[in-house]
Amino acid sequence: MSVEEKISELLELIRTTELNRKEIKKEEIAAELKYPLLETEKIIDVATTEGLIQHNDGVFRLTDKGYMAVQHHRESYIHERFTHQPAFLGRLSRVIDGGIKDWQGHWRRRHSFDEESLNEFYKGIQGLEGHVEDTLPLANLDQGEHGHIVLAFGGRGLVRRLTEMGLTPGTEVTLTRKAPFHGPVEVKVRDISLALGYGVASKVLVKRVKEAD
Amino acid sequence: METAKRLTFALAGNANVGKSVIFNQLTGLNQVIGNWPGKTVERAEGLLHFKGQTVNIIDLPGIYSLSTFSMEEVVTRDYIALERPDVIIDVVDASALERNLYLTIQLLELGSPMVLALNQMDFAAKKGIEIDVEKLSQLLGMPVVPTVATTGKGIEKLLSEAVDVAEHKAVAPSGIRFGKEIEGLLEKLEAVLLNNVPEICRKYPARWLAIKLFERDDDITKKILAEAAGGEILGLADMLVKEVEQEHGEPSMVVIASERYGIASRIAKEVTRIVSPPKVALEEKMSAITAHRILGYPILALVMAAMFAVIFIGGNALSGFLEGSFEDSIIPAVNGALSGVLSPLFVDIIGGGLIAGIVAGISVALPYIVPFYVLLSILEDSGYLPRAAFLMDNLMHKIGLHGKAFIPLLLGYGCSVPACIGCRILETDRERFLAGFVVVLIPCAARTVIILGLVGQYVGLPAALALYAFDLALVFALGRIAFKALPGEPVGLVMEMPPYKRPSVKNVLMKTWARTREFTYVALPWMVGGSIILVLLKQSGSDVALAHVMAPLIGGWLGLPALAGIPLIFGVFRKELALILLAELIDLAKLSSVQMIVFTMVTMIYVPCVATIATMRREFGWRRAVAVTIIDILLALLLGGLAFHILSILF
Repeated sequence: MSVEEKISELLELIRTTELNRKEIKKEEIAAELKYPLLETEKIIDVATTEGLIQHNDGVFRLTDKGYMAVQHHRESYIHERFTHQPAFLGRLSRVIDGGIKDWQGHWRRRHSFDEESLNEFYKGIQGLEGHVEDTLPLANLDQGEHGHIVLAFGGRGLVRRLTEMGLTPGTEVTLTRKAPFHGPVEVKVRDISLALGYGVASKVLVKRVKEAD
Repeated sequence: METAKRLTFALAGNANVGKSVIFNQLTGLNQVIGNWPGKTVERAEGLLHFKGQTVNIIDLPGIYSLSTFSMEEVVTRDYIALERPDVIIDVVDASALERNLYLTIQLLELGSPMVLALNQMDFAAKKGIEIDVEKLSQLLGMPVVPTVATTGKGIEKLLSEAVDVAEHKAVAPSGIRFGKEIEGLLEKLEAVLLNNVPEICRKYPARWLAIKLFERDDDITKKILAEAAGGEILGLADMLVKEVEQEHGEPSMVVIASERYGIASRIAKEVTRIVSPPKVALEEKMSAITAHRILGYPILALVMAAMFAVIFIGGNALSGFLEGSFEDSIIPAVNGALSGVLSPLFVDIIGGGLIAGIVAGISVALPYIVPFYVLLSILEDSGYLPRAAFLMDNLMHKIGLHGKAFIPLLLGYGCSVPACIGCRILETDRERFLAGFVVVLIPCAARTVIILGLVGQYVGLPAALALYAFDLALVFALGRIAFKALPGEPVGLVMEMPPYKRPSVKNVLMKTWARTREFTYVALPWMVGGSIILVLLKQSGSDVALAHVMAPLIGGWLGLPALAGIPLIFGVFRKELALILLAELIDLAKLSSVQMIVFTMVTMIYVPCVATIATMRREFGWRRAVAVTIIDILLALLLGGLAFHILSILF
């Protein structure tokens, strides 16, 4: 794992403790991330000198820059994995200009987010607890697998509809059926069967629930 | 003493919970069906007499929530908030209590007197679910009546409870509360609203307005912004809401939905007990096979093929019999009776126009449309159509629609009028129009009569089937072009898949009637009117004149006899008439196969009939109706001409 990846792990951990209104100390960070204490200190030092985190009395907080870093990390991860395979021209332009710089503009132009849905999307990814790498789109669950809803994004209307159909964060869903060729999926949620188009099911992030057996 | 007191009860609830079955049980055939003013949302209203009282029953659209995402939701919400029915009968599915209670909680927020109809108790029992009705009633603070709508069980009790609530109007304010933090915020907002915009608070309950502000509801936000103190209130609300959103890391709409579902889930858990293992193995198995990723498709093809075979073979025989008996006995009899009394022109108008129009309507509706809609309603009520929609979703996406649009597409094989209206099940205006554009190109029963009667009869069945295949390909191609041309984003599929059930005969018949009614009330008058105009044109001789004007187009480009222009013009009024007229004017046996195919193709594609144009105008507006009409005419002429020139070279 590269230093950058470790740093984003650290930032996401701190963000999660902030959301839970808890305070986290160096030793706890090491235990959570499963690094030796020494290495943890090194990562914390790098993150601090880069101005991503600050600490007083041994309690760590994200700086504004750190907050943005978490956001970029998560949106680029979600973007790479779930939203679109860039077409040849898209890939070419990305090679030329070195990736997406204006994320908000990209979401607006390429993914038709309006102001409001973009705001809600950012709120959603800021509120995500844990690591974004632990999530996957609902559409990628296998038949019979369970997951917990983490967040739905996309147009405001879509999020509203999904929420109202019972796909609120934390709810357990089971993927019961998949149609071939990236067709729709059928999920069971709150004792109801729902058919979701592939595109819709790709915009619902879940955490996979491991079977207890 | 008040004697003629009239109560109003409104039925509210999710889709697929048996709400309309309850409505039918309550009102029987005593219904008036129309649209909500200014909206393309169906409004069903009925009367019933109960213990000396007349009760007005309104069937509100089936919805999952009271936000303003869809027109159905807006209609429901405005009706409850502004018209204040005496009682809201909330119909819920006992086998999926949690999801259903979500709407119940939102209805409670509006503060109307309510009664809960705990429906589909039989199905819940099959799933091994037992519900503590007493406790549910206590928790919700309203009477709860277990019902089985399909058999009518509990309906009487439901009515008497509703009347009771209406008479004692005392609504105990619901004890349902959100979490402390949100309640605190709502209280603050409520106080501000009551102090600053008392007029709006007289219309809507203040607590409900506060909740809507918290959810950032567009409609209410706009209403409050229109007030003098609006800007200030919204500023304050925005600040408070942002705080909560920061805490939760979720948009406020999600926060409050989670709260509501939290309450719903708590109540559902408290009152339900799983008493026995569910006995729905068969249902699950049917679901697994019919929506199977591979097996599902051949099954779908078989079901469709069987359905069309029944319609075409049975319909053809019945239609021939009907037409024969009408033409041989009734029409001559009427003509005979009238000719003594009226002048020949009037005899022709009545016999050849009015009666022939009605006969034509009946001989299309009875053999084709009615059986088709019976079968389709059985498929729909049993739960198969949602599976079909699920399987077709992928393909429908290619034309910018989703699986649900498969349903109006199928309706189109009956009559384009109910098919256009059926597009209402789609979510956005863009999708409805896109689907409407496509469904009018599906050969309806009247066009099927021509395809089978001309090409099928004289050229052969393979040619007729080839025309069908060509039409499907055309629908697909045009759908794709329209999808690319119309601005906007496609909407993904979000659809409930109700469990398989045995369809109730009564409900299937009611549904068939509802769809045939659209044909009868909208299409039939146009058919009759068209017939009369036709008689007048014929009598005045202007039809031949028209044919001469159009001769270069009809003869030169389409390669048809000049007289064939007349049936093409009149096909606008009644498509199936085109064939009858053609037979009257020209000896069909003298037409070449190519000419028959071209003629049929043109009738199949060009202008959906006047009734459909009128329906499109109602559903999509004038400009779009005219645009579709013009596109279809040009397309029919273009393709018909091309077909003539290409086929002439080949054969």
